[in-house]
Amino acid sequence: MNLVGAPIDRVDGRRKITGTARYAAETPLPGLTYAVMVESTIPAGTIAAVDAAAATRASGVIAVLTYENAPKVEQHKVAGMTDRNLPLLQDRIVRYDRQPVAVVVADTFERATDAASLVRIRYDTSVPALSLAHGSGYHPEHSHGDEPSVYERGNVDAAFAGADVKIDRTYTTPVEHHNPMEPHATVATWDGDVLTVYDATQGVFGTRSRLAVAFGIPPANVRVVCPFVGGGFGSKGSAWAHTVLAAMAARAVKRPVKLVLARPQMFGSVGYRPATIQRVTLGAKRDGTLVSTLHEVRSQTSIFDEFVEPSAELTKMLYAVPNVRTINTVVPLNAATPTFMRAPGESSGSFALESAMDELAYAVGLDPLEVRLRNHADSDPSKQLPFSSKSLRECYSVGAERFGWSRRVPRARSMRDGGLLVGMGVASATYPTNRSAASALVRLSSDGTAHVFAGTQDLGTGAYTVFSQVAAEELGIPVSSVRFELGDTNFPMGPVSGGSQTTASVGNAVSVAARSARDRAIGLALGDPQSSLHGHDADAIDVRDGRIFLRDRPDVGDTYAAILGRHPQGEIEERGDARPGDEKTAFSMHAFGAQFAEVRVDPELGTVRVVKMVGAFASGRILNAKTARSQYLGGMVWGLSMALHEITRTDARSGRIMNANLADYLVPVNKDVPSDFEAYIVPEDDPNVNPLGVKGIGEIGIVGAAAAIANAVYHATGTRVRDLPIQPEKLV
Amino acid sequence: MIPTKFEYAKPSSLDEAFALLAEHGPDAKLLAGGHSLIPMMKLRLAEPEMLIDLAGIPGLTGITVRDGRVSIGAMTKHATLAASEELRQHAPVLFEAANALGDPQVRNRGTIGGALANGDPGCDYAAVMLALDATFTVAGKGGTREEAASSFMVGMFETTLSPEEVLVGVSFAAAPASAYVKYAHPASGYPLVGAAVVLSMNGDAISEARVGVTGVGDHAFRAGSVEKALAGVRPSDRTALEGACAGSAAGVDVRSEPAAGAGYRSAMCDVYVSRAVLAATRG
Ligand SMILES: Cc1cc2nc3c(=O)[nH]c(=O)nc-3n(C[C@H](O)[C@H](O)[C@H](O)COP(=O)(O)OP(=O)(O)OC[C@H]3O[C@@H](n4cnc5c(N)ncnc54)[C@H](O)[C@@H]3O)c2cc1C
Repeated sequence: MNLVGAPIDRVDGRRKITGTARYAAETPLPGLTYAVMVESTIPAGTIAAVDAAAATRASGVIAVLTYENAPKVEQHKVAGMTDRNLPLLQDRIVRYDRQPVAVVVADTFERATDAASLVRIRYDTSVPALSLAHGSGYHPEHSHGDEPSVYERGNVDAAFAGADVKIDRTYTTPVEHHNPMEPHATVATWDGDVLTVYDATQGVFGTRSRLAVAFGIPPANVRVVCPFVGGGFGSKGSAWAHTVLAAMAARAVKRPVKLVLARPQMFGSVGYRPATIQRVTLGAKRDGTLVSTLHEVRSQTSIFDEFVEPSAELTKMLYAVPNVRTINTVVPLNAATPTFMRAPGESSGSFALESAMDELAYAVGLDPLEVRLRNHADSDPSKQLPFSSKSLRECYSVGAERFGWSRRVPRARSMRDGGLLVGMGVASATYPTNRSAASALVRLSSDGTAHVFAGTQDLGTGAYTVFSQVAAEELGIPVSSVRFELGDTNFPMGPVSGGSQTTASVGNAVSVAARSARDRAIGLALGDPQSSLHGHDADAIDVRDGRIFLRDRPDVGDTYAAILGRHPQGEIEERGDARPGDEKTAFSMHAFGAQFAEVRVDPELGTVRVVKMVGAFASGRILNAKTARSQYLGGMVWGLSMALHEITRTDARSGRIMNANLADYLVPVNKDVPSDFEAYIVPEDDPNVNPLGVKGIGEIGIVGAAAAIANAVYHATGTRVRDLPIQPEKLV
Repeated sequence: MIPTKFEYAKPSSLDEAFALLAEHGPDAKLLAGGHSLIPMMKLRLAEPEMLIDLAGIPGLTGITVRDGRVSIGAMTKHATLAASEELRQHAPVLFEAANALGDPQVRNRGTIGGALANGDPGCDYAAVMLALDATFTVAGKGGTREEAASSFMVGMFETTLSPEEVLVGVSFAAAPASAYVKYAHPASGYPLVGAAVVLSMNGDAISEARVGVTGVGDHAFRAGSVEKALAGVRPSDRTALEGACAGSAAGVDVRSEPAAGAGYRSAMCDVYVSRAVLAATRG
């Protein structure tokens, strides 16, 4: 049976399109009340006075919480990559525009909204820190994980000084907000000291710990439920203020509370990709081989927490360069705390590095693809380890062929289509393979079905589907006989769905649990005098379609249904635990890919239309080609959006976000996406990376995509745009 | 996102409407397609206490062409204009603007009268009416008056309509050599630049041009210097055409916003005016 890899439809697809998949905000609870947050209208200062009288008097209002009357909770984070310091109405300090400053609870959403507009707050303003370029920054301890924020191998200054060809450029990327389709939402309800929260989250266990810490109760007293997520992209990877505030409000009014962010609030307190200023220098020989790379990253954080956009991590390992220095500086600003956003670091960093590589190609007069091939890293030059597998060369060649790279005329501004300028660009993609400990539980029943539980999340990525496939394959039953449940802290623990690690982490746990359930059922049959398999050897057994049989005599067999029907409990349960082994010390583990883009630019208007995008990616074993392709394509659309559309604008004087809506914050629509648009899966067999042989696929699709488009725009126009997004004005 | 409380009336004659307007004064608002007014009410930028729906008043809709003159009722929907074969023949400039305006929902509800009365600086029709040198018919309690499009538009969301008047229709001479092109905002579809051109030709040269521009300043305007410069120009002569269209927004306080800064907008204004001229000659 080969269920794993089959491009089957999403097992939860029907529920989603028929509207029966229940998202957090749709949780029906008796006696539900509705909370609406009031947000600050200044970026820095203190609350001088709160006038909540009119709001409190408004019809249907049950409570108005402000710093004056909010219950005491813990605002500070404890530990862990995803934990954040939160503004929880504990003091009068305003640290950023759109900080929650009050919560209004009413009997209907409309009344809560109305009353929220009646809360009057007077501020004493102070001068906000708003400038990334001029603000004073510091080097954080780590850029990412255990990586130091200042890294050097070899001697960059000496190598650059002696290089034949030098590139020294500064690239900038703006603040971008995730804007998943489903807004953040929390429904919270208390039963004594026990809290249940239905939350739109990428990590039910992370949210559980945050709530336990905030209220000073044991984690066991908190249950977090999240069966469906309408997109997260990192913004739902941390528990943010609204989740705690919903629980606080529920405790205060002694009724269940629902708090759903309005779209403008999605630009408030749920993270964003910080703006970056990145200087990249490349020193190279005449033949295009690199002798040095410097990558300095300046990114913003908030004045009350630290988040580092690790844009230079890929620079350490993407090319075979002897001398490399990377530096991260963070500048605290009066802005909300930034967070992970799809390929944090790799997406913004690849724009800088892969643009610089393109500039190098023109400087040495080589095809940009050839320059990349000449600098191919056969092993990881930073860790000095072999790659567990690497198929970047295949990605380049498959991508180039499918894209038709040979059509490209080398010189910039040399290709035309009628009045339009034509350009083609390429960029490399890479993303590390992460994995955390995870567990799963498999229950096999006498009706022949399997019920699988794991405390993980499906962000719309296809987790339900691929885990059902893994369980079905290990058990030897059809996918339709598997019922997979996730998104509940009552299930075995799983990690945050971030860093493209869910499949590598949880998939392996599901596989272990399913295998032990199968083996236990086989054991039951072999030891059961009533079974035709009684006394046979476990090695001689095969399983298919729910039937256990002798490999050499398929007519001799027994079914799960029959075996468990004779079992006193009628079912068996097995738990599987999987954790990373020592592969990390033996191998460098990364997915790789190549991005190709073709654009048409109207020279009079400066408008860019992407007419073709091709990505080729190698990410180990692909469990479902259909859902994987969606992930790649989705990532590439994000790259297109990053290249051409997305920018959150803060007013330089007031420090307020000016475009907190989807009419002024542009995201791509179908019309923006090229009709000629494909992601190719480059087959890759990786026996080293983890037992399932999978690498992450959720984030690599965006990496390099913006650079490929920017490089295509340069090729079309001869104008190098180094600050994203590439708006028409920058090209005329 | 929830409007303040309001009353609703649906008069069946203009006189009834005038009576209601007189009774409620500035607290009343006329309602046409509602596609500008209702969103403003939801944002509480408008908080009328009384909505007077014009939909029940007969005689305010339709397109008539008689003796080379086109008349359009104020309550005629964008979709009706966008599907009118007569308009396509007699005033492609308006036909094209109607087709380029908003999305199907907006076109199915919004009206030409509402769009013009609203005075939005990004109103597509405003440029078209200027280029057509249209006449607006305005009714009030004391009778009916006519006003030229050029004096009707005064400023941002400002026209010469008094709160007690109703725009009942527009009319203009047929203009078969005309065109409208616009640079749409990528999300809202409103024009960052909209250019309407009506031409009279003398062989393959322009004898007279009228150029209306919208989206660029705080209200639509005629590009007078370009109109003069275009006289005698052969549009097939690219250099001459572009030369004539240069500086189309000169003297205008050009709007600047994230989607298009003032400098870029001015430059695009020249490009779109010349594109509109070319389109109008294709006839
Ligand atoms: C999503 C969206 C996109 C849009 N895109 C565009 C676009 O690309 N280009 C564009 O030009 N417009 C655009 N519009 C606006 C659209 O044209 C509106 O329909 C129009 O501006 C208003 O017309 P209405 O009939 O809906 O008027 P209403 O919203 O009903 O009224 C608008 C105003 O005019 C007054 N009014 C209405 N009729 C009369 C009358 N006969 N006499 C006196 N006063 C009157 C009302 O009192 C009100 O103040 C868009 C609107 C939306 C919602």
